[in-house]
Amino acid sequence: MKLQRIIALAWKEWREIVRDRLFFSLAFIVPTMLMLLFGFGLTLDVENLPFAVVDHDRSAASRDYTYRFISSRYFDFKGQASDERQLDTLLADNRIRLALVIPPRFGERLARGEAAPVQVLIDGTFPMRAQTTQGYVAAINSAVSLDNMARALSAGRGVPLVEAQARVQPVKLEVRYLYNQSVKSIWSLAPKLIMLIMMLSPPFLTALGVVREKESGSIFNIYSSTVSPGEFLIGKLAPYVAISFTNGLILWALAVGLYGTPFKGDPAFFALALLLYVVCTTGLGLVISMLVQTQVAAMIVASIVSIIPAVLYSGMLLPLSSLAPGASAIAHALPPMYFTNIVVGSFLKGVGWQALWADMLVLAAYATCLFGLGYLLFSKRPAS
Amino acid sequence: MDTPAIRVEGFTKRYGKRVAADGLSLTVQAGEIYGLVGADGAGKSSLMKAVAGVLAFDAGTVEVFGTRVDSERSAEQVKRRIGFLPQGLGLNLYPDLSIEENVDFFGRLRGVPAAELLERKRQLLEMTRLDSFRARPMRQLSGGMKQKLGLVCTLIHEPDLVILDEPTTGVDPVSRRDFWAILGKLLEEKGVTALVSTAYLDEADRFHRVSLFHEGKVMGEGTPAELVATVPGTLALFRAEPQAEALPRLKAAFPQTEAMGAWLRVFAEGLDAPRAREAVDKALAGIPPTDWFAREPELEDVFVAMLRQRGAKLESAFPADSRVPAASTDLAIEARGLTRLFGDFRAADAVSFSVPQGEIFGLLGANGAGKTTVIKMLTGILKPSSGEGRVAGADMRSAGLAIKERIGYMSQAFSLYHDLSVIENIRLYAGIYGLDGRQAQRRSDWVIGMAGLAGFENDAAGRLPMGLRQRLALGCALVHEPRVLFLDEPTSGVDPIGRRMFWDILFHLSRREGVAILVTTHYMSEAEHCDHLALMYAGRVVADASPEAMKAEVSAESGQLLELRVDRPVPAQAALRAAGFASATLHGRAVHLLSRDAAGDLARLPGKLAEAGITVQSATLRPLSMEDVFVQRITALEAADRKAS
Repeated sequence: MKLQRIIALAWKEWREIVRDRLFFSLAFIVPTMLMLLFGFGLTLDVENLPFAVVDHDRSAASRDYTYRFISSRYFDFKGQASDERQLDTLLADNRIRLALVIPPRFGERLARGEAAPVQVLIDGTFPMRAQTTQGYVAAINSAVSLDNMARALSAGRGVPLVEAQARVQPVKLEVRYLYNQSVKSIWSLAPKLIMLIMMLSPPFLTALGVVREKESGSIFNIYSSTVSPGEFLIGKLAPYVAISFTNGLILWALAVGLYGTPFKGDPAFFALALLLYVVCTTGLGLVISMLVQTQVAAMIVASIVSIIPAVLYSGMLLPLSSLAPGASAIAHALPPMYFTNIVVGSFLKGVGWQALWADMLVLAAYATCLFGLGYLLFSKRPAS
Repeated sequence: MDTPAIRVEGFTKRYGKRVAADGLSLTVQAGEIYGLVGADGAGKSSLMKAVAGVLAFDAGTVEVFGTRVDSERSAEQVKRRIGFLPQGLGLNLYPDLSIEENVDFFGRLRGVPAAELLERKRQLLEMTRLDSFRARPMRQLSGGMKQKLGLVCTLIHEPDLVILDEPTTGVDPVSRRDFWAILGKLLEEKGVTALVSTAYLDEADRFHRVSLFHEGKVMGEGTPAELVATVPGTLALFRAEPQAEALPRLKAAFPQTEAMGAWLRVFAEGLDAPRAREAVDKALAGIPPTDWFAREPELEDVFVAMLRQRGAKLESAFPADSRVPAASTDLAIEARGLTRLFGDFRAADAVSFSVPQGEIFGLLGANGAGKTTVIKMLTGILKPSSGEGRVAGADMRSAGLAIKERIGYMSQAFSLYHDLSVIENIRLYAGIYGLDGRQAQRRSDWVIGMAGLAGFENDAAGRLPMGLRQRLALGCALVHEPRVLFLDEPTSGVDPIGRRMFWDILFHLSRREGVAILVTTHYMSEAEHCDHLALMYAGRVVADASPEAMKAEVSAESGQLLELRVDRPVPAQAALRAAGFASATLHGRAVHLLSRDAAGDLARLPGKLAEAGITVQSATLRPLSMEDVFVQRITALEAADRKAS
């Protein structure tokens, strides 16, 4: 190992990255841009659902029922519709996602103590949103029903209203969300975006950087010189690790500063974990670059190998426990899942070494394997 | 004798099923400039990479300075002593780094101590005249400068052996000569051994010894003179009218017959000059040859003869057709003051020339001289800023599709679809030009016959040998029977047999079918096939004449070409330059120079060099080549430009 050669290689690589427009933007602009685009664009909260009402009853009870929905922060009242036909066009044009149809004699039936049906129309094109919407509607509806029962009880038996309310709902839920008190999806998303973007960017940069030399023929400068494979890999990859690590820190700053995600863990632990993860994903790029011959092939392979694990098998969108056994095995075999545990733990749970040492160990094993494989695949005297 | 620098025995290399090198053997002595000469795919690169220790091979032994290179470990032992420049002009350099940064990187990579690096860098950059451009990024360099920078980077660690893979491909003749001069000087000064490959046969005389490569085999090894002597015979140059009738008669008797513009060029194998004359007279059967010249064959003639002895076929089965030779002398192509500006840059500057129907017209010039811009304007791809281009009588600015259908165009890249078969490629082009089923069938048959593709109809175009692929591309450009054909550097990388067959077809097209052909080339030996040439420099046409007229003009201005074979070429060149022969250049063990008093200098110079302790083995008069003409013209123009600025 000669330090002079490693420095010469790293210095050359650094200058090429900074001066080449494509590499410059891939290295310094794309990660931040992805963070902004995904952060603002990918909100999973279901709020402000536009809705309309057809009220055939026009009684005090029906107005009271409608008002419960209008006053909720989850719904955005778009107005009364004259009939069901008008609802069809509103739903079809995406102007509303939900409609309530209150039948004639709604108030009269309730007053008589009979059950009164209300039709609910929900846009089912996104199943997850539709289910959440149905949950909100059911919750408001049962609150109205309980109120009505309590009022009837209070009036019929002559008990005070508060007591009647306690009687109709003897067990009352007191929910407190831990780690993400207001259940904001961006709090959970922003840390996971660090995982996602640090899974995409380093393999791309690294694979393109190495394959570019194969494609142009400048790799022969390395083959024909006395540089050892180890010196070459360290000198060549050090700038990519350094750039990606810096990007990871910038993304951390964006998550905390721009999206307001709380960071409760140990910054030193997190920085070390980030470095380990970046070494890991850079190693992935190295292995890809050893297996392909052209930059186009490198891009295709890098995108398949990085996007799918990072999105589907990392626990980013769906909790891992909800995956099928086969998918869960795949998730455990890939690094993004372990770093997801680390970011969620560091940001929201405020845990460190004690809880996450196993994940760190797996990432370290990964980094070692990938670099070992890259080293073995690199030959200064290939067969073609 | 010392250990040879390189010893190769039975070297075999396969890529999948394809055999790239098939039992090659050669030996390079220390201090030699050894040449590997051959077309693309002949196995030169594989051998050079194996010698440099950067390619594993299948069989045989490779020894470098006595060390067997057979594993990654053993290869590492000799890499310190080797400098390797891979193929591809400037491709191994770093485009975003400046000249100086590139040199520094190579120096540090090779562990050159800082103080020595500084001194060597200064020396090498000065010698290659790159020192005033130190801070310029490599991507902004011209072809010649990239090539010289590549050489500097290869030499920065002072290797004992340099391996240069086609260093002169894609570089204009002036830069090429410059490169050889610098290389010769450097190697002489440092006592370095060099293994250099080239696709240009006419560069073979730059080497001490050469191996001729063809399809993975060595056809011959020795000094250029020894190789020429292996196939004795006479090269005859003459005119005979009518040429179109003389040519087939000569071909029947001499397979190596070529038309060069108005001239005929015949290699009479095994015959001395008088007997060659007799045999030519007999073959011509009544057509009298005029302007007769007989001389020693060139290496290319010998190479082709060797290939023929091994069974290569030269004649293409040209289908006999009933078309009468076109008597029309209408202008097929006319450029009148064609000018094209890109911003402030004049890519083409008032270019004027004309090409009559049935003529082969050559457009010569270095990269960036404006050749492609002119072709693009004439084919209607690019609008001229001013002036006009007329093709087949129509102004190309306003010409509709109908006129474009009378033009055929073949690009450097052989625009074929590599995954389609031969017949599918032809049908595709027939479809593009709107031929109906019967016409398409007739023309497909014609193309297959003309290009000698029978038996290859269903092979993928990408798997054909270069020569066949080139003729297929030509066939596709001709499928709609155009009257005017544009060829943009059509013969890059093709072997000599393929090149000959290609020019044979062009000759046939121009003479028998009256097609006007405009061709650009950087193979100067090919320029001699043209009836008429225009030389471009910095966007302008600076000379416009037949090849003989151009040569005669240079002879009248600068003198005749002398070749002196000497024992020590480098000091001989220096002595001659000191004596006022600025044109003295190194060619292997010989020195070339231009002389205004040829007879006097031939008599005087051996004595003069003897005073400097140099022995002249032979002194002869040589015919000027097109390359000499090009270099003379362009260097004069460059000198004038420098004076003006």
